Amino acid sequence: MKIGTPKEIYAGERRVAMTPDSAQALKKLGHECVIETGAGLEAGFDDAAYKAAGVTVVKTAAALWKAADVVAKVRAPNDAEMKRLRKDQTLISFFSPVADEDKMGQAATKGATVVAMEMIPRISRAQKMDALSSMANIAGYRSVIEAGNNFGRFFTGQITAAGKVPPAKVLVVGAGVAGLAAIGTSTSLGAITYAFDVRPEVAEQVESMGAEFVYLDFEEEQTDGAATGGYAAVSSPEFREAQLAKFRELAPDIDIVITTALIPNREAPELWTEDMVAAMKPGSVIVDLAAEKGGNCKLTVADEKIVTENGVTIIGYTDFPSRMATQSSTLYATNIRHLMTDLTPEKDGVVDHNMEDDVIRGATIAHAGDVTFPPPPPKVAAIAAAPKKEAPKELSAEEKRANEAAAFKSETKQQVTLLAVGAVLVLAVGLVAPASFMQHFVVFVLSVFIGFQVIWGVAHSLHTPLMAVTNAISSIIILGALIQIGSSSTLITLLAALGTFMAAVNIFGGFLVTRRMLAMFQKS
Amino acid sequence: MEFGFTIAAYAVAAVLFILSLGGLSGQESAKRAVWYGIVGMAIAVIATLTGPGQGLWFASLVLIAGGAAVGYQLATKVQMTQMPELVAIMHSLVGLAAVFVGFNADIMINDISAIYAQQGQVLGVLAADGYSAIGLPKEIHKGLSSFGQLIAKKTSVEITILQVELVLGIWIGAVTFTGSIIAYGKLAGRVDSVAKKLPGGHFLNAGAAVLSVVFAAMYLAGSGSFTLVLLTVLALFIGYHLIMGIGGADMPVVVSMLNSYSGWAAAAIGFSLGNDLLIVVGALVGSSGAILSYIMCKAMNRSFVSVILGGFGGPAGEQMAVEGEQIAIEADGVAAALNDADSVVIIPGYGMAVAQAQQGVAELTRKLRAKGKNVRFAIHPVAGRLPGHMNVLLAEAKVPYDIVMEMDEINDDFPDTDVAIVIGSNDIVNPAAQDDPNSPIAGMPVLECWKAKQVFVSKRGQGTGYSGIENPLFFKENTRMFYGDAKASIDKLMPLID
Repeated sequence: MKIGTPKEIYAGERRVAMTPDSAQALKKLGHECVIETGAGLEAGFDDAAYKAAGVTVVKTAAALWKAADVVAKVRAPNDAEMKRLRKDQTLISFFSPVADEDKMGQAATKGATVVAMEMIPRISRAQKMDALSSMANIAGYRSVIEAGNNFGRFFTGQITAAGKVPPAKVLVVGAGVAGLAAIGTSTSLGAITYAFDVRPEVAEQVESMGAEFVYLDFEEEQTDGAATGGYAAVSSPEFREAQLAKFRELAPDIDIVITTALIPNREAPELWTEDMVAAMKPGSVIVDLAAEKGGNCKLTVADEKIVTENGVTIIGYTDFPSRMATQSSTLYATNIRHLMTDLTPEKDGVVDHNMEDDVIRGATIAHAGDVTFPPPPPKVAAIAAAPKKEAPKELSAEEKRANEAAAFKSETKQQVTLLAVGAVLVLAVGLVAPASFMQHFVVFVLSVFIGFQVIWGVAHSLHTPLMAVTNAISSIIILGALIQIGSSSTLITLLAALGTFMAAVNIFGGFLVTRRMLAMFQKS
Repeated sequence: MEFGFTIAAYAVAAVLFILSLGGLSGQESAKRAVWYGIVGMAIAVIATLTGPGQGLWFASLVLIAGGAAVGYQLATKVQMTQMPELVAIMHSLVGLAAVFVGFNADIMINDISAIYAQQGQVLGVLAADGYSAIGLPKEIHKGLSSFGQLIAKKTSVEITILQVELVLGIWIGAVTFTGSIIAYGKLAGRVDSVAKKLPGGHFLNAGAAVLSVVFAAMYLAGSGSFTLVLLTVLALFIGYHLIMGIGGADMPVVVSMLNSYSGWAAAAIGFSLGNDLLIVVGALVGSSGAILSYIMCKAMNRSFVSVILGGFGGPAGEQMAVEGEQIAIEADGVAAALNDADSVVIIPGYGMAVAQAQQGVAELTRKLRAKGKNVRFAIHPVAGRLPGHMNVLLAEAKVPYDIVMEMDEINDDFPDTDVAIVIGSNDIVNPAAQDDPNSPIAGMPVLECWKAKQVFVSKRGQGTGYSGIENPLFFKENTRMFYGDAKASIDKLMPLID
């Protein structure tokens, strides 16, 4: 079949849905490729490059839409493009089924098939075609670069001959794909990076990227992100309050804020309020990646960079991927190519639109004359639900201290009880026993005590030598035999002599065998 | 020399003994620590020999030299695999010596009473001051041995306490003596290691213990030395019957328990002789053995009482049926897997000791390590028949101790392990301990080797281990059974590793 990519019409859009590389891969699937002249120019791919890759270059968009069986593009089609869409044609592009509901209806009535890149389900198998992730990655990276461009200082701290430079403090709100990319970029530039997310289970990912996760002092059953396909869900008002309070506390110290908080099919939640902006130092930068959906900061103006009265720069660009058109085109074209691979299972150039397939079904919003949105829930869960576990890290400092205090208390209680019982027993013995016995008894009690203290420290691997050595020294009983041996009674002398002999066997045997064993323990 | 000097020497010796035990916290410091023990013992013996009241020092030296010769023979000839037997038999010697010394004390008391009687006096009568005893006339007192003098000075209360102490010393010593001999027999394979009891079981033990108390009371009431002999006979029986009733798998606990007893016996004798060094060392050894028993019990998730009472308690319900079959594999298959593996964990058990396979295993380890593979050993606390038994065997075979890991250190690493080799161990790798609440070993900490990608079990044949518990590990999908004598199996394997 013929796969065609028109030039993007949307103002400022520089990406292209097909690159020479992806075209070559598509040809291996048995497809032919067509491209509108100049479509890849802004992304750094000229017509000659496409031609060299065996792509047919057509002069006009109309000719392209006519020639192609499958049209792959980046932005959702505008009205002119919708008119060009015809029966049995497949359109692959970003296409919000909620915002562009009318267009979805039109496409269905026409009998065209629409595959919305936003709708690719988030399952492992579909990662290679997940354009939202690949674009978010770029947006996250670029947001940090853009912030740096508008920030008057270094990211990294330095001590130079010309003075000390403190490192920049970056707060990333929302640790999704874009957030994590921003964290990675920011930490690798040397900034001290903090990150927050409503899903506490991402704390581990955040920390693995080198940032510090901002925990809230908040007790609530938080929704496991796995239940919502890995996306964030709406949080309770109490939680929101706790979150805002935390941000308010952080705001004066933070130099750069990157907000990436989006909830699917909803307005972006307001997380960075005006008073927080006011609390920030002049020269600080806010990059609002949610600008397209209204922004996480209400001061954000979509597609524009503004400077507030107190000198805080707020960047509301919505075209970060487009600003890195070469990179994003390469990734997007690869996503499309993977999707086509799934659509052409036989690699014979025939598209088999298999509506039984979870990924294809999930992404298809119009097919065979019907609107097929919303899709049924996928058969495979997006992410295995994490087993509910008590995250010990979420304990606040006070709770930790309380726990420690409680543990200390119970330990003290146990120890005091043992001591009291022991002391009472010893005292009881002392009441009846004569003083000469008690003198020895003191020695005995102290020795047992020392014995317990010392033996706990013995290494497990040395338990056999320990037994041999204790065996040897328990033959100290030889002293008793030696004292008795000089007695006038023959019976005593005989028994004492036997005792001496046996204890001597033990002393020598025990120590020698211990030495033998210990000599064998060697380090590599 | 003066008595004060002897006591000072004892103090030095006591400090050295404490250092000697404390030094066992690390492999390197242990080598120094054993010397502390030797020097301490030498000081104690010399101080006693040269101290007051010691007659026959030449005879004593001859006896010690004789004992040294025998001890040297034992220590140098013993195979490392026979270490548990050696330790057990040596405990029996301490026990017997304690019995002898205790009897001597009793004989001495009788002798002194006789001397008092000759003088027309009674031993232990209080003097006018109400504290000290009326002594013998000076010249007779001088003529007694130092131990005799010690007794002659005692009041009647002190004599009673002395008798309590020596009863305890003799009783514990006698239990230790027969118990250790039976433990030795079981470990050496001369006595069937299966738990056996005479008809009447625990009631026999309990009865004997009650009778012992009766005889002890009679003895203290002055019924004469024959009660002491009867008490000793009963104690000997308890020692025999108690250990006969404990299965082979519980031997680590038994040996450490006997170790502890031999210490308490020495301490009790120390009390009766009024010798502080005996008390100190007895208490050290006693507590050391008690801690070892505790650690062993913990490692098997069993209470001390249930070990002593012998045998495993009956299962709480139906044990899980084991499904699947044991799949055998030949040496070439094991070798192929080892050649491909990057990380290998070897889990040795008593079977390795029995087959004397430790040298082969060490050789195999060297060969694998030379190829850059990460080879480690996982040691369960109760692997073998003595605490730390496997460590000693591996050390003998020159396996570096830093690749020999404890259970807690290595259990988390099994999921990242390519090959786990189980050599002659069974219950310590039994997943039923975790999966089956009705298993007799439920809750016992085990080495989770089944989490490794592949498990090979070197085992003599099908069948259950000492405890007679079926092991589901052998039926797991990633487990292959490598049947045969451990040593022969390893020897077969060796040339195939390239």
